[in-house]
Amino acid sequence: MFPRPGRDIGFPIAGCALLFAVFLAGGLIYESFQGRAAERLVTVMLIDAIIVLGIQIYVGNTGVLSFGHIGFGAIAGYAFAVVAISPTEKLKRIPDAPFGLDEVLLNPALAVVVAIGVTVVVALVVGIGLARSGAESGAVAATVITLALLFVTHEVARNWPDLTGGNRAGLTFKVGGALDSRLPIYLCLLGALILARLFAQSRSGKLAAAAREDNLAARAMGVNPLVQQTAALLISVVVVSVGSSLRVYENGSILPDDFFFNYTLLTLAMLIVGGRNSVTGALVGVAVMTVGRELARRLGQDGFEVFGLGLDTAPLDWIFRENLQTVFLGLAMLGFMIFRSDGLLGDWELDGWMWRVWHRRKPEERPEPLAEVAPAGLHAEADREGAALEVHDLAVDFGGFRALGGAGLTVMPDEVVGLIGPNGAGKTTLVNVVTGIVEPSAGWFRMGERELTGAPSHEIARAGLLRTFQNLRLFGALTVRQNVELASRVAAQHRPGNHPPVDALIAEAGLWDVRDRRARELDYGSARRLELARAAAMAPAYLLLDEPTSGMSDAESAEMIGRIRHMAAAVDAGVLVIDHDLNFITGISDRIYVLDQGQVISAGTPDEVQADPVVRAAYLGAESDAEGRA
Amino acid sequence: MTELAQNLIDGLGRGSIYALLALGVAVVFGVMHLLNFAHGELITVGGYVALWTLGTGWSWYIVTPLIVLSAVLTSLAIERVAFSRVRGSSDFTLLLTSFGVHFVISAIFLLYVSASVKPFDRPSWVTNTYSVGPLNIEVYDTVVIAVTVLTLIGTTLLLQRTMFGLSLRAAAADFDTARLMGVRSDTVIRGAFALSGLLAGIAGVFWLMRAGSISPSAGITPMLKGVLAALIGGLGSLRGAVIGGLVLGLAEVLLRSRLPDSIASLTEGVVFLLIALLFIFRPQGLVTVKHAVRV
Repeated sequence: MFPRPGRDIGFPIAGCALLFAVFLAGGLIYESFQGRAAERLVTVMLIDAIIVLGIQIYVGNTGVLSFGHIGFGAIAGYAFAVVAISPTEKLKRIPDAPFGLDEVLLNPALAVVVAIGVTVVVALVVGIGLARSGAESGAVAATVITLALLFVTHEVARNWPDLTGGNRAGLTFKVGGALDSRLPIYLCLLGALILARLFAQSRSGKLAAAAREDNLAARAMGVNPLVQQTAALLISVVVVSVGSSLRVYENGSILPDDFFFNYTLLTLAMLIVGGRNSVTGALVGVAVMTVGRELARRLGQDGFEVFGLGLDTAPLDWIFRENLQTVFLGLAMLGFMIFRSDGLLGDWELDGWMWRVWHRRKPEERPEPLAEVAPAGLHAEADREGAALEVHDLAVDFGGFRALGGAGLTVMPDEVVGLIGPNGAGKTTLVNVVTGIVEPSAGWFRMGERELTGAPSHEIARAGLLRTFQNLRLFGALTVRQNVELASRVAAQHRPGNHPPVDALIAEAGLWDVRDRRARELDYGSARRLELARAAAMAPAYLLLDEPTSGMSDAESAEMIGRIRHMAAAVDAGVLVIDHDLNFITGISDRIYVLDQGQVISAGTPDEVQADPVVRAAYLGAESDAEGRA
Repeated sequence: MTELAQNLIDGLGRGSIYALLALGVAVVFGVMHLLNFAHGELITVGGYVALWTLGTGWSWYIVTPLIVLSAVLTSLAIERVAFSRVRGSSDFTLLLTSFGVHFVISAIFLLYVSASVKPFDRPSWVTNTYSVGPLNIEVYDTVVIAVTVLTLIGTTLLLQRTMFGLSLRAAAADFDTARLMGVRSDTVIRGAFALSGLLAGIAGVFWLMRAGSISPSAGITPMLKGVLAALIGGLGSLRGAVIGGLVLGLAEVLLRSRLPDSIASLTEGVVFLLIALLFIFRPQGLVTVKHAVRV
């Protein structure tokens, strides 16, 4: 099913080719009007675009803000320069180069490969640090690590003159630039565009985007974000390395300040102005910021004479000053963050639009009901045989507070089991432990023969324990369909056997008509049903539903009972459902456990539990109205 | 032994300034979950105030309170102009907003003053030393350490004994709950920025006395030190920020004197590497703050 050749490969490549053509044409037209003076500007813009696309691959897909990519650029730039500059030139600049590098001379293409290699090794180490720091969207520690990288590279470049030529001399190929033809730039830019788009459409890119939207939910669905983030980091660093090598070669020299704070600001501003979550946006941002900055620079130099209108600029002389372009950059970044933080385009992609236009004419047919199309044998027999979910004597302490004090329960593969208890009884904590989010201080749980205590969330999900969340954790920026598709992709990789079809699941959840709506735009009830469908798409052995009807009306709750039972039967999953609503739990469950103050105080069929005096005393308190809501 | 004692004193002097900077970063982080990359600009502004006032012949005794005041006012101004508009935005937006503020402020000085480094007179006593036994102690370090201790005592009293301090600590622990309990978010956030500016101003006076010059990009280094120190201590912990600052200062001084000559010039790089290692083995920083994950 994935990747779909048209949607995930064909259209992105076509879209990138078109984008590239428009971008390049814009540059060339400007050049033809402005002559040779504009040539350098366009060349620089093309190279900036490569580097910005490289940053987009990481920042856009993972949501981690990186200041370090220009640091990676510095490493690549120096690595490239050191091996590509002729030994005679090196004798002048860095006669004492370490590791015998003063003798080395590679042709530029090979030097780029060396630059990529060196940078990727550094990126791997940094990647480990990022992973350890708990990198996720907007993570502060990860950002500071990348900032530190930028400073380390700058410090080393300044203070290791034997290798880098130091702060003043730097390394030089040739004054005025060493690149004779723009062809390599064109090829690299087109390649970077296609790579960035294909990565975003790839399995890895989609999973990284899921973790960007909600790290915890992604892990609870079997995604290991660290793997996807590291993949994004390495690919993005490769692109940045190529772009930086080109930048050094075109410039003809490299100095520590070439790859430092100011260039970081420029590239980040380009990225966020256009829209960091979109490749099209990144390119648009490069164009907009290049034009804006050039305009600001010339306004700063010449005032309104730029336009040749003979306007009097004297009243504005306090603005039109040298270095105006730097203020422009800072203001652009600040303004977009305050007023439009998703940039001009948000996550709009040219090829996505082309795809929608192309397919507008043929409406999709409503899929067959899930029960009819769900493939038989969702789970291998061995998987099913006695694979009960057993939770034994779990204890959890938060500081001095004992949230669970030896709670245990069993769910059989074909059962719907309810877990009920007042607020603070430990219900959610129990699900959190069983899905690997909270570590128990004692006790164990397993599914069939498989011991799962202490396993990370994503492995538990891959084993078949899938959950929903009390306070809704959808991938908000993704559409309904993409949410379910994503789970299906993880299932295709990690769950053996057949998987329920995505479209049928969506229809079953009553979401067919809103399938292309973003998840964050859904109403509450629809969002809950989408969470259910998303979990079911993983072909789970067990569904763990945390208050699936919270916030729903009584009528909606009643409808949800049928939906959950139906969906669970169709994907052949056992269910553990948590709620504090007695009506709902007795309505849906085959068996019920009652939890109070971290311990199971009663268990049995709905009738037995309702009749249990201990339950009536503990759960309903002074009220003895067993029909009432808790 | 003597050398070690000497290093410790030098390190404490340097670390004290970092501690003040880190504390300012941590206070703001606590109430807004904002890592303020513009923190160093408070010093930049103070630096230009120093440049202009010292240039007209004023003495350091008058200029010092002006630097502190300018830092407080700048801190409040950037809160009003920029940060108040992104309250509650995603962490990504907050990070880049503060980065943007940093750049706008330094660009304005670039536009209206110049890119070059402008020197001003340092107070005469900055380079004086006195001897205690075999140790040479700088008057400067003594003053820095003394003022830092007093500032920390004052800050502690403010946080422990006043209603504002209680609100601020409550907000830092759990902003939403604090609001429900009647803490006014505007007041506490502005108060946090004012306190942050005050701490940066005091640190800035010493920073500028030692530097004796100012340029538009002068804020980057103090910002970085403050942010790193706050992170070493464990973001969100005020005590951690102070510890982080002292650790960073001591580490720098000790490494500079102990590293072999060939790589002594790379001290900063080595420090960064050590910090990276710290994060790899102890991602939550030196002082752990327990955050309950709401699921």
